[in-house]
Amino acid sequence: MLILGIDTSTDYLALSLLEDNLVKAEYNLSLKRQHSEKLLPLMEELFQTFAIKAQDLDAIAVSIGPGSFTGLRIAITTAKMLGRIFDIPVKGISTLEIMAAGQRADYILTMLDARRARVYYSFYSRKKADFKTDLEKKLNLKELYQASSIKIEQLAELLSAYKGEEILLLGDKTDKAAEILKRENFNVITADPENNYPRSAVLARLGRDYINLGQEDDIYQLKPAYLKKPQAELNWQQKYGG
Amino acid sequence: MNAKRNYKNKEDDIFILALESSCDETAASVNKNGLEVLANVVSSQVELHQKFGGVVPEIASRKHLELLLPVIDEALEKAGLEFRDLDAVAATYGPGLVGGLLVGLTAAKAIALSLEIPLIAVNHIAGHIYANFIDNPQIKKPLICLTISGGHTDLLYFEDLKGYEILGRTRDDAAGEAFDKIARYMGLGYPGGPAIEKAAVEGDPQAIDFPRAVMADNSFDFSFSGLKTAVMNYINNQKQKGKEIDQADLAASFQEAVVDSLSSKLLEAVKKYDIKSVVLSGGVAANKRLREVVEAELKEVEIEFYYPSLELCTDNAAMIGAVAYYQYLDRDFASLAISADPSLKL
Ligand SMILES: [Zn+2]
Repeated sequence: MLILGIDTSTDYLALSLLEDNLVKAEYNLSLKRQHSEKLLPLMEELFQTFAIKAQDLDAIAVSIGPGSFTGLRIAITTAKMLGRIFDIPVKGISTLEIMAAGQRADYILTMLDARRARVYYSFYSRKKADFKTDLEKKLNLKELYQASSIKIEQLAELLSAYKGEEILLLGDKTDKAAEILKRENFNVITADPENNYPRSAVLARLGRDYINLGQEDDIYQLKPAYLKKPQAELNWQQKYGG
Repeated sequence: MNAKRNYKNKEDDIFILALESSCDETAASVNKNGLEVLANVVSSQVELHQKFGGVVPEIASRKHLELLLPVIDEALEKAGLEFRDLDAVAATYGPGLVGGLLVGLTAAKAIALSLEIPLIAVNHIAGHIYANFIDNPQIKKPLICLTISGGHTDLLYFEDLKGYEILGRTRDDAAGEAFDKIARYMGLGYPGGPAIEKAAVEGDPQAIDFPRAVMADNSFDFSFSGLKTAVMNYINNQKQKGKEIDQADLAASFQEAVVDSLSSKLLEAVKKYDIKSVVLSGGVAANKRLREVVEAELKEVEIEFYYPSLELCTDNAAMIGAVAYYQYLDRDFASLAISADPSLKL
């Protein structure tokens, strides 16, 4: 099974190729806002390097955010088209989950910058005792809180039930979050830089696992996890209610 | 992409899938040999933007992502073709709203890479000119084209795809934007063009004397901000005096001022350049009063006058596919590294 992982949700342009259990290629390029120009040429280069064609792919894994709205749409559009043209399964994966799935700690808080002193976050457990469903057991990961956004100052309150546990912080604003949580006597650790972003090989592996468990997405329904309404909609609601 | 490629020539049948997502229409088409439109599918988001009185870029981009695949499917189905039958894929790469442009352009890139066919990046403004050739392939060149819509007010001189220039543009609002803003102010709804045209039917176009912008430098540029302010002042003054406003007269007088500004510049250009025809395009080209005035004036100077059918007037992909065909024959292909250009010029 040959799986392509595509992630344009963060500053990283991330592209990977996984063949069963073997990572054949993994790009994680911190390019900021060049995803539209670089993604397709990089895919072409990857295919040429391994002398394969797009039609040789068996599945696509794509990150669905949260993240840059414009960035998210680039990878998802690409994934939809490949899925449609070659009739192969596509799985959309949360960017927060990609970060957590690359780590071994019992409790993991992953964060992405949501601006204005807020972060998009999710909180995961890797403790066997927490796993309830077959999916959680097979993925060896449970999402304890559904992804959302929060003021960074409110993290201590959010995690109050886990005060005695060691919590690994990952992603954007980890230093600031660690400072706040340590002040409240939480037991937190932070990751080294090479682990502190959503790695595309992890995305491809997660995609493979989900698809093997029959959890592929309907490409016609697949959309980004924006986690935020467009600003104009929020303004309108504030003015007129509803 | 592969260098060992046999491109087709004029004698062959060439099928191109085109995508358009620069504003608030998600569109896909399949054209055969340029001007033969096998499918022209447009999914409009007008209703979605109605309550905001104008296009909201982020809302438009989200919708493009949802609609593009179904729209492409429908276009291929109507054309009776499969992806593998395509000779090239085209997309608008500017001008327009960057978020929307990127959805269509990225989709086209993915299709080009997947099928190993050329990618053709098309200028949206050129598309509006070519919309005319789909309905009337006999149009004689050189020509002058006035493209007017919510996104553009462009006066162009056109010989062919490599020889065209902008004579004038708007210095502030696009013509369609002026209609939208005044319609919103008058409580007539969105989009403003058809709403004002409807309200103006029973009105007297001479009832209120609104200003026509005159450019100090004698250029072919347009401006609608002075007119917009004058209309708003008029409404506020009448309200302050406790006088009732005749909506029909107001709509008709405003429309007349816009038509006057557009047609007088167009006629000046017609007199200055040696051309054979004039074409109108863009959503505002559907305005009947504008067509009447322009038609009458062009008859006097014996210049042929064309405007596309309504579905080709507003944004669509068939016009992009028409341009793409001529770019294909010129082997004017884009690299996968091309990026959207929201303020693309000609
Ligand atoms: Zn247009």
